[in-house]
Amino acid sequence: MGRRLSTEPVTTAVSEGRTAGAPATLTAAGVAKSYGTLRVLAQIDVSVAPGEVVAVLGPSGCGKSTLLRVLAGLEPPDRGRVEIGGQPVRGPSPDRPMVVQGATLFPWLTLRANLEWGPKALGNRQAGAIVDELLEATGLSGSADLLPRQLSGGMRQRAAIAQVLANQPPLLLLDEPFGALDAQTRLRMQEWLIGLLAERRTATLLVTHDVEEALLLGHRLLRLSHRPATVLEELALDLPSPRGRSTLSDPRFVHLKGDVLTRVLDA
Amino acid sequence: MALREVEGGAGLDLGEVLGPSSEIATRRRLSGWRRAVVGLALPAVLLTAWSVLSATGILSGRLLPAPADLARSFRDFVVAPQREAVPGVVPFRGAAAEHIRASVGLWTGAYVIALCVGLPLGLALGLSRWTAAAVDPLFQALRSVPITAWLPIGLVWFGLGSGAGRFLVFVGAVSPIVVATADSTARVPRQLVDTARMLGTRPRDLARRVYLPAALPGIVTGLRLGLTLGWTTVIVGELTGVSRGLGAMMFAAREVSRLDQIIVGMATFAIIGLTGDILLRAASRPLTRWADA
Repeated sequence: MGRRLSTEPVTTAVSEGRTAGAPATLTAAGVAKSYGTLRVLAQIDVSVAPGEVVAVLGPSGCGKSTLLRVLAGLEPPDRGRVEIGGQPVRGPSPDRPMVVQGATLFPWLTLRANLEWGPKALGNRQAGAIVDELLEATGLSGSADLLPRQLSGGMRQRAAIAQVLANQPPLLLLDEPFGALDAQTRLRMQEWLIGLLAERRTATLLVTHDVEEALLLGHRLLRLSHRPATVLEELALDLPSPRGRSTLSDPRFVHLKGDVLTRVLDA
Repeated sequence: MALREVEGGAGLDLGEVLGPSSEIATRRRLSGWRRAVVGLALPAVLLTAWSVLSATGILSGRLLPAPADLARSFRDFVVAPQREAVPGVVPFRGAAAEHIRASVGLWTGAYVIALCVGLPLGLALGLSRWTAAAVDPLFQALRSVPITAWLPIGLVWFGLGSGAGRFLVFVGAVSPIVVATADSTARVPRQLVDTARMLGTRPRDLARRVYLPAALPGIVTGLRLGLTLGWTTVIVGELTGVSRGLGAMMFAAREVSRLDQIIVGMATFAIIGLTGDILLRAASRPLTRWADA
């Protein structure tokens, strides 16, 4: 059963409670962002513990993607502070890559070359071995020498996630990564991602407008308001592991989904 | 557009797997031999009509020589034994190699300079909003000056001879290269650049590793346009008092009213221009194949 912890802005104390004092992988406090007169983020506090998957749920256009861009260092916040592993974020960096909906692979390179890009850019001599292992983990070994356009949408999306994981980042930022896929493919991708993240213990911040996806993947859920965004509530999602297609028919999941959906629709 | 999910695409026909971008390619092209037949039909019909009109005297040789006469002139141009060179006279018989060498030399020399100037300038315009704001208005204004209008000033700057010609061909070739390079560089998806940075690519490597390869298909289009436009400018560049070159030969032929020789020059221009474009396309294909529809 999901416990409703708070309707106040999240405090770091709440999230640190889960991890017994381990330092947070990501800490963002009081983040605000405007574009000209358009206030997008009013006041966001979020933290992600090592190995934790935090789902950020919000209505379309509420500033979810802006939040991720700020966390990724692609945009500076107007106010507030963002820290990764205790270090303030300045500009994009391979330790907190973002994967967005639609392919971000380099279209002129083969799948293998795409995956090797990161390790090679960082001068990692193990590039070949890392990529072999990732190709295996993504089920794409047979397609290593194909160009991105020769892959299906689902394969491309998996490859885009594998591409940034090749640098073994402590934190992964996902922006509706499976939004462009059909429902069945999306579910398969979600199951694959759940397994991958659990195995690698990669802390993840997942932004989505899909209640089911948020509940299925997240260990914790943050619900954002309409623009300008604030955190409306935070839920711990202690559904049984391993999660997957069977979770969807779990009574607790069904109940929780109805609950959250109602609040989303009433917001 | 719906994405098609095709697992294990390796063994499938590419057309099935390609997804959205292949929609364009589904307008099926004629098969190779059909296209060849259809493409040759119109020239064949016209050639036959031309031969008949010439043979019956309806079409005067003073307006347009008969095909057979042209073929003979063409053969003379290419293979006839050369007469002794007379100073101040532009040769025709057996002089094909000599003229082609001069024209192609002018073309390629000027084109290489246009590449060296046009690619970096185009990249700078496409990468930097400041450069674009500073340079673009002036560049667009200069680009509006007709190529032939650069001939007088080229003659003043470089004097009679191949220098002025090379300048003119450069002017013709450089602007499509700059425009296409700037435009396709500016259009490189932001996401690709963001991804490269998030993968640890150093900012100073972005131009070479991301912008250039991503923009390459568009750049190649500019390189082809520049090559062709440069070639069509060669004849203007040979109005500069040179005695060798296809243009020089054609103007000399006009002085003595040898319409057949003029047309032989035009045909040679067409063949070489087409060959150049085919060679450039073949050379660039391995680099841009990823973007083919």
